Amino acid sequence: MTGTSFIGLYAFQWIALISVALTMLILGDALAGHYRSGFIFRSQYMPFVGGGLLIVSAITAVVKPETAWTNLALRIAGWLAIIFGLVGFVFHHYYGIAKKPGGYKWLLHYLMYGAPQLAPLALTITGVLALLAARGLAGEVTFAGLDLRAALLALVAVALAGATLQATLLHYRGAFNNPLMFAPLTVPVLAIVMSVWVIIGPNEIVLLAFTILLWLTFLIGFVGLGMHLRGFGRQMGGLYLLKLNLLEGPPAWAPGLFTGFAAVGLIAAYFL
Amino acid sequence: MKRPTERGGTVTSLRQALSLVKMGAPMHPIFVHFTIALTSASLAFDALGFFFDKPSLTAAGGWALFGSAVMTLMTISTGLSSSTRAPIEEGEARSFLRAHMALGLIFYGLLVAVTFWRIALWRNGQGVSWLYLTSLAVVALVMTIQGYLGGELVYRYGVEVEQSYRGLPEREANSSPPQLTSSSPREVAASVKKGENVA
Repeated sequence: MTGTSFIGLYAFQWIALISVALTMLILGDALAGHYRSGFIFRSQYMPFVGGGLLIVSAITAVVKPETAWTNLALRIAGWLAIIFGLVGFVFHHYYGIAKKPGGYKWLLHYLMYGAPQLAPLALTITGVLALLAARGLAGEVTFAGLDLRAALLALVAVALAGATLQATLLHYRGAFNNPLMFAPLTVPVLAIVMSVWVIIGPNEIVLLAFTILLWLTFLIGFVGLGMHLRGFGRQMGGLYLLKLNLLEGPPAWAPGLFTGFAAVGLIAAYFL
Repeated sequence: MKRPTERGGTVTSLRQALSLVKMGAPMHPIFVHFTIALTSASLAFDALGFFFDKPSLTAAGGWALFGSAVMTLMTISTGLSSSTRAPIEEGEARSFLRAHMALGLIFYGLLVAVTFWRIALWRNGQGVSWLYLTSLAVVALVMTIQGYLGGELVYRYGVEVEQSYRGLPEREANSSPPQLTSSSPREVAASVKKGENVA
């Protein structure tokens, strides 16, 4: 296996575990969003099929990392998650903007109030993460022409960029009513820049700055989870009216993606 | 709101005691003590081990921190479960609850980060440092604020607390508690000074 071990698990076993956690977070918010719209299309069940397979295969790969079939299962599940995420992105775009009354003339409105445009791509990102984990567990050292460490850092940069963009849109919808809603636009953006810098011209100072930014991004995820929980508390009835407010409040698990992506970056920085 | 739920007399047998076991009791106040105790113990052991150069104490600090990171998962989940059972109207109590919920997850993020830091120190064969101790003290400070907010929710606003005991008759009559002397201690002292019979 590539990389060094930490608390009994190698780097790519940790990556596989984080892909499990990220998938669960994504599915949690997808369940709320799709339930809110009433599962009117059968395709709205797709992320749960793809994500479920990814969770099972990734856990199996962590438990039996050197078995060929678990690695193959993880690769297949990774590809399925990538495809389902891309299909979801097209569906969200078509049914969330293009087919809506007014269509692109009401673009900003639908970006804010329609289906979250970038959310399905988070599943694609976890699919790529699963593929990278499978390659690392199999002892391979490259992915798409990059070494695995650089590929992971590039993925972290893309993932953080997407998460920041989606958070910015939704926090704009919320009129940035709390100063902490600007948090995704601060440290994570710097972490994206530093991630690219580490890939292109790594040195000790840049790496140190990058890891500090990633730790702060890791913490920002928890701040977001706490503040979204507070957001439910601000709805009429708070968590006492759990089901209603889970559907109408902020996306419960979305900030956790920042923590997960930062954790991937930290593993790449420390153990690869 | 007063909801007396005590129905029987003094508990005198095990059977009677068992019949009063209530599985619906809130679990959050139980687990929160593990978080507070283990995090505080970790800081205390680490500080003692650092200042007196006792590796066994810092090892105890590390295990206490690890225990806290695990047990706090239960604290958070039971806390969330408790908040779904709290029909609190908008006002001071809801504000305290919101702050408590937000700070709880922020505290957990800090706790997880400092735990990973501690594991990395242990893995590299390094001891705790001033910087680490300061960070852990900050985490403990956040935990203290968090605990204060939770305490206010229970002891000031009575969240998830049933007033289930049988009150004294004076309490039922909404009067003052019974007085042991007919006068206040200051009046008694003044009377003694004057040589009057206070009996």
